[in-house]
Amino acid sequence: MSIIQVENLTKKFKKLTALSELNFEVQKGEIFGIIGPDGAGKSTLFNILATLTLPTSGTITVLDHDILKQYKQIRKEIGYLPGTFSLYPDLTVQENLTFFATMYGSGIKENLPMIMPIWRQISPFKNREAGKLSGGMKQKLALCCALIHRPKILLLDEPTTGVDPVSRKEFWDLLDKIREYQVTVVVSTPYMDEVGRCDRIALMQDGRFITVDTPESIIKNYKGDLYAIKTSQLFKLLDIMPQFQEKCSYYPYGEYFHISFYHDTKHAKNSFLQFLKQHEIEFEKMEHISPLLEDCFIEIIKEDRNV
Amino acid sequence: MRVILMLIKKEFLQVYRNKLLMSILIVAPLVQFVIFPFTADYEIKVVKIGFIDSDHSSLTRQMVEKFTYSPYFINYGFIESRDQGEALMMQDKVDFIIEFPSHFEKDLMNGLSPQLAITANAINSVKAGIGSGYIKNVISSFFNEQKEGLANRSAQPANVSISKVYWYNEQLNYKNLIVPGILVILVTLIGAYVTALNIVREKEIGTIEQMNVSPIKKWHFLLGKMIPFWILGMVEFIIGLLLMKFIFGISVQGSVGALLLCTSVYLLVMLGLGFFISLVSRNQLQAMFIVFFLFVVFVLMSGLFTPTEGMPQWAKYINYANPMSFFMEIIKLIVMKGAGLMDVMKPLITLFVMSVFINSAALLSYSEKKK
Repeated sequence: MSIIQVENLTKKFKKLTALSELNFEVQKGEIFGIIGPDGAGKSTLFNILATLTLPTSGTITVLDHDILKQYKQIRKEIGYLPGTFSLYPDLTVQENLTFFATMYGSGIKENLPMIMPIWRQISPFKNREAGKLSGGMKQKLALCCALIHRPKILLLDEPTTGVDPVSRKEFWDLLDKIREYQVTVVVSTPYMDEVGRCDRIALMQDGRFITVDTPESIIKNYKGDLYAIKTSQLFKLLDIMPQFQEKCSYYPYGEYFHISFYHDTKHAKNSFLQFLKQHEIEFEKMEHISPLLEDCFIEIIKEDRNV
Repeated sequence: MRVILMLIKKEFLQVYRNKLLMSILIVAPLVQFVIFPFTADYEIKVVKIGFIDSDHSSLTRQMVEKFTYSPYFINYGFIESRDQGEALMMQDKVDFIIEFPSHFEKDLMNGLSPQLAITANAINSVKAGIGSGYIKNVISSFFNEQKEGLANRSAQPANVSISKVYWYNEQLNYKNLIVPGILVILVTLIGAYVTALNIVREKEIGTIEQMNVSPIKKWHFLLGKMIPFWILGMVEFIIGLLLMKFIFGISVQGSVGALLLCTSVYLLVMLGLGFFISLVSRNQLQAMFIVFFLFVVFVLMSGLFTPTEGMPQWAKYINYANPMSFFMEIIKLIVMKGAGLMDVMKPLITLFVMSVFINSAALLSYSEKKK
């Protein structure tokens, strides 16, 4: 059963087209991740789903409610965590929670079990003003406030941006726990390592979804043969690569150099080794590796550009 | 109802936590009351005066002495020439120069009317006007004293004495006007400034979006903002009334109930205005500039510093849109003239209509959705 249905969604700001012809569905209970660079249109999409911004055209149904006509019903059922921290910094943790619970006409007590895993972590600071919490704690509190009225859908716009890696991992662990309560989560992130934890991922670029799929099949559909090379002459290598004749794609990946061959892998690999020798590039090792999501995205984006 | 109560509670919590705002709310009325009425004063206490005496008679000497004894004048002494007088005025050493022509005493004794010139530094026109009034008073009382001596020598015109009674402010005490005026300014500041800044701040930190995605209604939000600041404004006003009574001994001559009613309606106008401004401005800086601009116009046209009756007709038309001028009128009527509710009906109804208008405009332009 699809909980969010988006058909031909377009959003224009004067001359700029922020979203163009988006089509997707989100299923009940899944974690739907949206990844894309800054400016891809993620926040605009969230604002529209949260009934804060009007779409220019297209039909959107959230929980069988039309987003234009029945936005009031939708508002009762969604929890929205905007990209920037937006709780009252001068109210305490406890006061913020009570406040938002009251705004949605629900009490804290009956919904505490659902947020318990998060609440346990922030309750030691419940009398501290929200503005004085650390970044990770702030986001956990914001998540609590967004969940306190037991929404059916949780919209999280870059919830972990600017949060330290440990807190980011904890945050995602919490999202896993929330699933027990049949909450559908739509989450955006700029971090590649996080999207693997989603049920389905949409890769967003220039206001379009380039691909929407599960992480597994995204990896399965990777076409090339991927090798990782460790070399101290990375810059020189990148410099001379345009001279290499075989069809391949390459990019630096941390301290490694990733290269992917498409046709006749064996031959291509050998001519690459030849090429390295010819240009006197020394390397420690060259390994055949299975692609990570990031490799897949790079390939998908490249293909998309060529088309 | 629970939602509105929660919103009000939240607002008070925030005001309470905002130490700076709290201290401004408490200190501002005190400071304004203690400092402003003593400084914004039309009374001229010290006038520096110099004399050019071309007559050198006993009469002119007596007259100069008369000025010296008055506490309002500082006698610079005799000035030799007009040129020197001009230089002294340039340097602010004298404010007024009185020039006695030659044969002044002689002409006077012969029944002629000699001319006596008073030159005033009129950069501050109020000071010049009032100062020359003082000087004329001193001179005419001097001649009255001299009259007995002169009576035998020349025919005296019929002695006309004018007795003045000032109504509603018997001692012509400027504080009686300025202190209630400060009350008006206080209420305006709380109403418009604090409300506008508060709501814009919610915009800045993004909490207004959180409110918008929640199922609460627009007018819940509006009421949740207006009630706390309305209460704050009324409390400030009452504190101001008490200060007015106990520091300056000005008590409300008319109906206190009517005064409070008018204030509460005026606050509604200001709250609505603050709300409206917060909707059209994107950040606190913009809101501040708008409020400040309106505030200055309101105050200067309100009749606090200059009477509104003297304004040209077109300015009077503009002033019909100035809620402060109506409230100032009400304050003057009730506090000084002792008016009751019926006497202030007209401005009160005007304020009420304004409050309905501005609040509806604010509510209509408050959109929960962006286009």
